[in-house]
Amino acid sequence: MTAIGSAARFAPVRLLGRIHPSYAALLVLLIAIAFLTPNFLSPLGVMAFLRRGASLAIVSVGQLFVLSMGGFDLSVGSLITLAVMGSALMINNDPALTWHAIALVYLMGIGSGLFLGLVVSYLKVPSIIASLGALLSIKGVALAWSGGSPQGYLPDNFRQFGRVTYHDVPIIQVLPMSVVVLAVFVAICAWLFHGTTFGRLALIVGDNPRAADLAGVRVRLVRIVGFLVSAVSAVTAGILLGGFAGPAQDVGDGFELQAIAANVLGGTQLLGGRGSVAGVVAGSLTLTALFTVLNLIGLPKPLRDAVQGGILIAAVAYSVRRQGWEK
Amino acid sequence: MGAGLSMAEAAPRFEMRGIRRTFPGVVALDDVSFSCAAGEVHALCGENGAGKSTLIKVLGGVHQPDAGTILLDGKPVRLNHPLEARRHGISIIHQELSLLPERSVADNIYVGREPGRLGLLDRAAMRAGAETWLRRFGCRFGADAVAGSLSIAEQQVVEIAKALVFNARILVMDEPTAALDETETERLLALVRQLRAEGVAIVFISHRMRHLFAVADTITVLKDGKLVGTRPRGATSPEEIVRMMVGRELKDYYPARRARAPGAPVLTVAGGGNEWIEGIGFELYPGEIVAVAGLEGSGKAALGRAIFGAAPFSRGQMVVGGQAVRPNTPLDAIRLGIGYVSDDRKAEGLALRQSVLENALLAMRGIAAIFSRPGRTAPRGRGIDQLLREVDVRAAGYDQQIRLLSGGNQQKTVLARWLALAPRILVCAEPTRGIDVAAKAAIYRLLRAYADSGKAVLTITSDLPEAIGIADRLLVMHEGRLAGELPAGATEEDVVALAAGHQFEAAPA
Amino acid sequence: MSEAAAIAAPARARVRSGAWLAPAMIVLCSLAAYCVAAAATHQTGQISVDGFVGLIQRTVALGIVALGQTLAILVGSIDLSVATLVSVGAVMASWMMQGQPDMMVPASLFVLALSALVGVANGLIVTQLRVNPLIATLGVGLVLQGILSASFQDFAGSVPKEFQIFAYGTVGPVTLSILLMFALALVEWLALSRTRFGAHVYATGGNPEGARLAGIKTARVVVLAHMLCSLAAGLTGLYLASRLRSGAPWVGRDGVYDLESIAVVVIGGTVLAGGKGGVWGTMSGVILFGCLDAIFTMAGVDAFIKQVLRGAIVVAAVAAYAYRTKGHVA
Repeated sequence: MTAIGSAARFAPVRLLGRIHPSYAALLVLLIAIAFLTPNFLSPLGVMAFLRRGASLAIVSVGQLFVLSMGGFDLSVGSLITLAVMGSALMINNDPALTWHAIALVYLMGIGSGLFLGLVVSYLKVPSIIASLGALLSIKGVALAWSGGSPQGYLPDNFRQFGRVTYHDVPIIQVLPMSVVVLAVFVAICAWLFHGTTFGRLALIVGDNPRAADLAGVRVRLVRIVGFLVSAVSAVTAGILLGGFAGPAQDVGDGFELQAIAANVLGGTQLLGGRGSVAGVVAGSLTLTALFTVLNLIGLPKPLRDAVQGGILIAAVAYSVRRQGWEK
Repeated sequence: MGAGLSMAEAAPRFEMRGIRRTFPGVVALDDVSFSCAAGEVHALCGENGAGKSTLIKVLGGVHQPDAGTILLDGKPVRLNHPLEARRHGISIIHQELSLLPERSVADNIYVGREPGRLGLLDRAAMRAGAETWLRRFGCRFGADAVAGSLSIAEQQVVEIAKALVFNARILVMDEPTAALDETETERLLALVRQLRAEGVAIVFISHRMRHLFAVADTITVLKDGKLVGTRPRGATSPEEIVRMMVGRELKDYYPARRARAPGAPVLTVAGGGNEWIEGIGFELYPGEIVAVAGLEGSGKAALGRAIFGAAPFSRGQMVVGGQAVRPNTPLDAIRLGIGYVSDDRKAEGLALRQSVLENALLAMRGIAAIFSRPGRTAPRGRGIDQLLREVDVRAAGYDQQIRLLSGGNQQKTVLARWLALAPRILVCAEPTRGIDVAAKAAIYRLLRAYADSGKAVLTITSDLPEAIGIADRLLVMHEGRLAGELPAGATEEDVVALAAGHQFEAAPA
Repeated sequence: MSEAAAIAAPARARVRSGAWLAPAMIVLCSLAAYCVAAAATHQTGQISVDGFVGLIQRTVALGIVALGQTLAILVGSIDLSVATLVSVGAVMASWMMQGQPDMMVPASLFVLALSALVGVANGLIVTQLRVNPLIATLGVGLVLQGILSASFQDFAGSVPKEFQIFAYGTVGPVTLSILLMFALALVEWLALSRTRFGAHVYATGGNPEGARLAGIKTARVVVLAHMLCSLAAGLTGLYLASRLRSGAPWVGRDGVYDLESIAVVVIGGTVLAGGKGGVWGTMSGVILFGCLDAIFTMAGVDAFIKQVLRGAIVVAAVAAYAYRTKGHVA
């Protein structure tokens, strides 16, 4: 009786409650950035922000494919490093070799993703262990290859993906190439995840692999494709980062955890069964915005990691609460 | 047996008076009274959602009543927590057993009550104590056996021993016979009678009339959260109880059979065998329902899995639609036109957090090209929504998460998943396990209608009346082999005799 | 639930036995491989008491961490913050001591108290906030590492000579730290098999809901297990400070103690879901890893390639166990 009335009256409030708080957090952070950097709200500022966040967004969306089917891919950070270091070593400042090198690092990524997928689905190694092992091995390969210090140079035609910005674009004025890469990659992933049978199966496999198997779903194939997408996302992010920051042995460090954090912020359920590309993109931009704010107020990088750890816990704790309410 | 006499003299061990309990939007229990005396077996029945489990949870201290009182030995008590109920000697044995599969029987019996001093365990005392309980129940396994390696029935005995170690004077058994075959059920019912004789008050929840009438002194029926009535066993009949549960006469519980047009078999198995079964040979014809009966461990479940390629045949021949085949995975079998409803709905049937729709579409998704557009139209051109309406899945919407539906509606969704593919052979393992009477009747009708449409149905069931009621023919298994075949109209005695391994001349070669 | 599975196990019940067999086999095979490698590379000097003591000595840090990790995994949780906590322990110890012998006891007690506190925090986040333990301990590890790296950039302070006895002191041919590791293993084994706490650890990991209904305060068991796990990591930090003479904020991460401790626990037959496994399995896994490391060193494998192989071996070792599991893993 009265319950119905009050429910109707507070419907907008309840609707607000249903919005994931990471969007609210993103808004607050963006406002904070706008106050801290005067020209942020210009097309230039927004595009610079997107360019900074592009690689994390790409890896996070890749990670979504593995997380939604109940796994983890912790190898992406070292795969990014391998992509950057490997390209630098293979190209060695000879622009003619750029495209060969890009093809080769994608092949390496596909090989690594395929290997992880096979190990997880056929040898039944929990993906958290398998991908941690891959993290160690891939980092070892990158270090052994480069002899332990950054070597080689990346020519401009490689670095353009991370660095070049088109000017005089109508309406938005400027358009960094990395934002184009981001948009294309996210569009492809959104199609894969929301517009194909594969996407639906990924969620079902994350929910109950046994039931999926007994309904004729090729669970192993689904898992392998998931790891492939994640690996390809890491290589793509690596190519952007190589252009953005240049070769270094620690370019990829910590990306695996940031990608998981971005997913958690974006409403992906750990251990599978729920997630969306739009949510993850929002989650990764939230994280980028947060890092930007922490940077602007002068927090050293290690402390930014610490803040990230706290956020990870808080976000999962919140989503647990939220599920409790939904019951 | 004198149980009725002693019951009349004793004050109730517990009495629940006028219990009311509401949840947001639902009155789960409305003025329900229920009691049980020492040395009484009081059966509680009702369809799913009738309020049985809420009543049990109130007794077990999980839920607190909004109104009403609970009296233990005549004294009012408040049970605010499961542990408090436990301390009062109330023990509930849930359908999902709570044993530690990797630990020994002794560890399990004494979990949380380990004997010893200063935090040190007295292992000798645990083993001796456990052995005493096991001997009392006539068990053939020892206190050192690993719990997970015991059969479901044996695990249930361990659960009972565990409850009694806690000095349980009130024992609630929720569907204890659901997963048991006939001999195991007999053994369990004997144990229940033994406990009754020792003065334990027992609440026995079951869907199976035969088991209720075999053991209960009193039967109480709930419906829609209200008490329909309480009857002494001698003054009622299974028909009356079912009528009380459903609120109407259940006519045509088992749908009528139709004469089958003769034709070529859709499935032939010859000499089929694997790790669990041996020398399987039979034929399955379009338009018929064949039931496979047998004891737990007879290999009847393994037969279903072998045909479906989940645990494939390693020997022998299998012919589907005239072609020799060997499905090695479920996907192979599905492509041959075989569907399979698992006996473990939660673990093997459903993606619980996905929608009704996604669950119904799962088999179609499985055979679809992996990067295709996810459609929602069955190959026969009907939308999955229409199919879900036809099988009468009741949900707030087909986008609702399936875990929120009743067992019956979940099972109908699983059936819809297979009907969407229209397989020529549908294998159903325990198709009505743990669902209520009305849903059972609906499932029977669906299976019969499917057979009448020219498909073959193979049901594997531990529920004998169900096997006899629904099947055109019965296959009976014993120790991994087909013990024989019985025509429609066979009696339970015939089936039991075959299942127990007594050979006789009923089976045509 | 499937009948097929029920038949697969023979009708008669299985009795638990041979808990010693698999660990013993792992240890024997590892030591045999070590001897063969030593002979093949003409380093027969390694096949001696000193050689074996050196071999075990190099496993002490991993061994103590893994003993703690065993508890966390047995209750159905996991701890990814151990590597960071090892660094925290090592840095805090050497920074507080600054070479002063009279600061040894206060600094050690401080490190252990801090570790216990971190463990309790881990346990509370897992049980009270119900955060997935992987994320909870990962997050706590990030927070700790962030604060530590922001405060210390390099080796901080030093430990006095007296404190180095912890790592280098000997009793006969064996070092104190090796004895400590085996003593801890023995105590943990007794606690798990002979005490009520042990029974509750297995019950909590094997069936949390059942354990709770049996009156076990499962949250308390989980918190306690996390506290002991973190204490073991803190103790390892003290040991590393003693061995390296000073602590740096990367000693734990460089040792990959988080991943390797989980790997040896799993190799030792403890299931990641909890409720099954034990101490001696873990110790056998530790010795296997020690032998492999020694073999690579004798064979002169490059440090980075060694890292590649380490990763591969972790995966292969877990695969050897996991392959037999029915059903799916993610």
